[in-house]
Amino acid sequence: MKKIEAIIQPFKLEEVKEALKAIGIDGMTVTEVRGHGRQKGHKEVYRGQEYMVDLLPKVKLELVVPSSRLEEVIKTLTAAARTGKIGDGKLFLYDVAEAVRIRNDDRGEAAL
Amino acid sequence: MTVEKPLSNPLAGGAQAAGDTQARFLRTGDAEQVLEQRSRWVDSVVTAAYEAHLAPVFSTGMAVLAVGGYGRRELFPHSDIDVLLLVAPGDPTGVAKEALSRFLQSIWDSELRLSHSVRTVKECCELHEQNVELNISLLDQRFLTGDEALHRELLARTPKFLGANRLQLARHLCKLTRQRHAKFHDTIHHLEPNIKEAPGGLRDLQLLHWLRCLEMTSSSEDAQMEQPRRFLHSMRCYLHYRSGRDNNLLNFEAQEAITEQSFLPFEDPSHSMREYYRHARAVHRAALRDLESVESRHSSLLAGFRDWRTRLSNSDFTVSRERLLFKSPQLLAQDPKLCLRLAAFLGRHRVQLHADSERRIQEHLPQLREFFAGPEPLWPDLRQILDLPHASFALRALHDTGLLAAIIPSWAQIECYVVRDFHHRYTVDEHTLITIENLELLPASKDDPARGRFAHLLSEIESSALVKLALLYHDIGKGDESEDHSLASRRLAAAESEKLGISAQDRQTLEFLIENHLILSGAMTGRDLDDPDTATWLAHKITTLERLKLLTLMTYCDIGAVNPTALSPWRMEQLWRVYLITYRELTRELKDEMITPSDAAPELRRFLTGFPTRYLRIHSTQEIERHFLLDQGRAADGAVVDITRQNGVYQLTVLANDRHFLFASLAGAVASFGMNILKAEAFANTSGTVLDTFVFEDPQRTLDLNPQELDRMRHTIERVVLGRTDVKKLLGKRPRLMPPSKGGRITGRITFDNEVSTTATLVEVVAEDRPGLLYDLTAVFSEAGCNIEVVLVDTEAHRALDVFYVTQQGSKLPEPLLESLRAPLLAACNG
Repeated sequence: MKKIEAIIQPFKLEEVKEALKAIGIDGMTVTEVRGHGRQKGHKEVYRGQEYMVDLLPKVKLELVVPSSRLEEVIKTLTAAARTGKIGDGKLFLYDVAEAVRIRNDDRGEAAL
Repeated sequence: MTVEKPLSNPLAGGAQAAGDTQARFLRTGDAEQVLEQRSRWVDSVVTAAYEAHLAPVFSTGMAVLAVGGYGRRELFPHSDIDVLLLVAPGDPTGVAKEALSRFLQSIWDSELRLSHSVRTVKECCELHEQNVELNISLLDQRFLTGDEALHRELLARTPKFLGANRLQLARHLCKLTRQRHAKFHDTIHHLEPNIKEAPGGLRDLQLLHWLRCLEMTSSSEDAQMEQPRRFLHSMRCYLHYRSGRDNNLLNFEAQEAITEQSFLPFEDPSHSMREYYRHARAVHRAALRDLESVESRHSSLLAGFRDWRTRLSNSDFTVSRERLLFKSPQLLAQDPKLCLRLAAFLGRHRVQLHADSERRIQEHLPQLREFFAGPEPLWPDLRQILDLPHASFALRALHDTGLLAAIIPSWAQIECYVVRDFHHRYTVDEHTLITIENLELLPASKDDPARGRFAHLLSEIESSALVKLALLYHDIGKGDESEDHSLASRRLAAAESEKLGISAQDRQTLEFLIENHLILSGAMTGRDLDDPDTATWLAHKITTLERLKLLTLMTYCDIGAVNPTALSPWRMEQLWRVYLITYRELTRELKDEMITPSDAAPELRRFLTGFPTRYLRIHSTQEIERHFLLDQGRAADGAVVDITRQNGVYQLTVLANDRHFLFASLAGAVASFGMNILKAEAFANTSGTVLDTFVFEDPQRTLDLNPQELDRMRHTIERVVLGRTDVKKLLGKRPRLMPPSKGGRITGRITFDNEVSTTATLVEVVAEDRPGLLYDLTAVFSEAGCNIEVVLVDTEAHRALDVFYVTQQGSKLPEPLLESLRAPLLAACNG
């Protein structure tokens, strides 16, 4: 099993969710986060006052998928989250040792 | 629905009896027989256990008492059992301890969840500061079995103990209740309420009972609580049977399941929930009244404050012990507007209504409804109420007494209306009232970095009444499930607002706000904010900076009322970003988007061509027509000066041929009369006609007290426009004002931007407002040979926020010129 952590643009969340749902991936955790990568921040001026906007609002998705479906999920996710511009975000992949469904003790991929 | 297996009972006949009781309950919904039957059965279990294990060891010196809910014989199918073992003083022997252990074990074996305490009479009559629940539970004590003499001793000592500690116990009770209410955000309107613990739940009924036991309140409302008590008992009983445990959460599934039961006469969960809120509201209000009555007894400082508040009384109302009473309630029949004056009083002073006042309103409700349905325009009164600092408090009182639905008929559609949504925590009416509370809480957040920005926006708007009315209406269409709720709400508002007597222009804004109340939150999560098209789309949809501010505030309040954590710093940041990109786009449009009319009459086309699109967006058709006619009546080289008074301020409109120094001269002329300019706008069309508008206030009331001054002012301005009077000479006579204190001073800031517009330089100025500021600033531009193309001036409290689009010989200002302008502009800002 693999865990995918995806940092994406907030406005892409619905599209990504729909695309994942279309390939049968329903379960995910979504968090509202702030941060920046190479995109860095920028300076904004409002009424003569300068604000440094260095941490931009983003959305973090976490999902665990069977290893066999990893490439398919990555492809779907990146296609749905991409605008081609700086700030589209990143995916991070991790190995998952075990998964347990609390309700009935299902284990492994059956718990996903 | 699935109902769990009936309560099992090791004692003969227990399971059968419990099963029968449950079946009977599901047929009739009568919880009282369940409570009675279970209490009787538990009594028999406890007594039998006593006889078997404790009686042989304790011939005297041990009594078993039922306390708490068990003492009151209010045992729901899965309620805990509270028992007090009253013992004689002295250390128990090993045999006694063993017997006690067997006694407890046997009760646990009967599948009863027992909580017990072992106390002497003396311990029972001590105040347990850290555990007042113990003292309180004794208010419901009931002797079960054992040493009756010992129990009589307790009964004999209890009155003295209560006499000495009554107030302290009541205070503790109130404190615990307030803490419990706070956990539920002090509202009954939860979509999935806990019917025991939430405000208006069974615990509140117990509070009323305990305060009566402590002789802190009278029992006058007992009869009124009977219906709510039976309803809540029935609900709780059902929840216990359904889940097979002590579960008191009336969640969505349970709401659906209970509505299917034959004992409830409702076909839809939303109807049964309305019934729940109706009862919970009655209980909650009774609890609040009793809480306040007890709390008012224990602080002399508070009491002093309350006495002081009695001075708030006026010819219509009197305030007694923090409660508002009608002086002549019979007047409600002849003078229904007394209700509106009452709301204004509440909105100004935040005083609770007395129960008697509520009763009087209820009695007159049919006549009041009839009056409010009549032709009388209510907006002037309603607007005044909405502008008050505690308007939401007044609205709550109107809502609680049924008056709000009388004034705004469609409000009835969302009263206690449940919309099943994962994020929403409250019913639609409660959500709506919280949105308005959020708006009123904003000014206090001025120093908070995230919320403060929205607080500043609020101080920039002229009146919050219209936003509050828009908030009142924004979800009112949710009661009509046949169409999109934003459209349904707009439709209902449109139908009612004309009758309220709202002006056509305000109605347009109101309808715009309601219909579009979701576009900013939609853009926050559904649009690429870095894409210029998003800003353009929003700007075209929103059309003016004024509307943008109102809509941003509305969105802020709306998100914050979804649930207590919905308005996260993340969302505030996103909302601010949306505001900012739209603000920029609308500011850019000021200069770059010109009107190019195609289907107007040639003369009108000539007049409109070249004005910024903002001109069309901020003026009604009638105003534009008036401007056009004024311009038509103007001599080729003449000027039109028009001054009108509206809503306590003056509006000056000038139409003239453009010339150098014109705008600065006008600003100077207005200032020379001691007037304070609040807003100003200057536009020019391609034919060289300028239209300048100024909104100013008259701080010395010169024009109010000397009507002939208005003519002199009009005449002077006309001479200034035509260049026949030198504005500098006029200003030489102007009185100098005292500078503001150092603490309140705002340092002037100047920003130049050559990127925003394709043809002009944007200059933004933020400065301490003062009479003559606009003249001093614009004179700097004019003296440097610059032309002011577009001006947008606004003031927020003492802060002037000015936007100028400036050119020199038709082009943007070169860098060296910008630098040379900075110092004199700053000097003008800082007076």
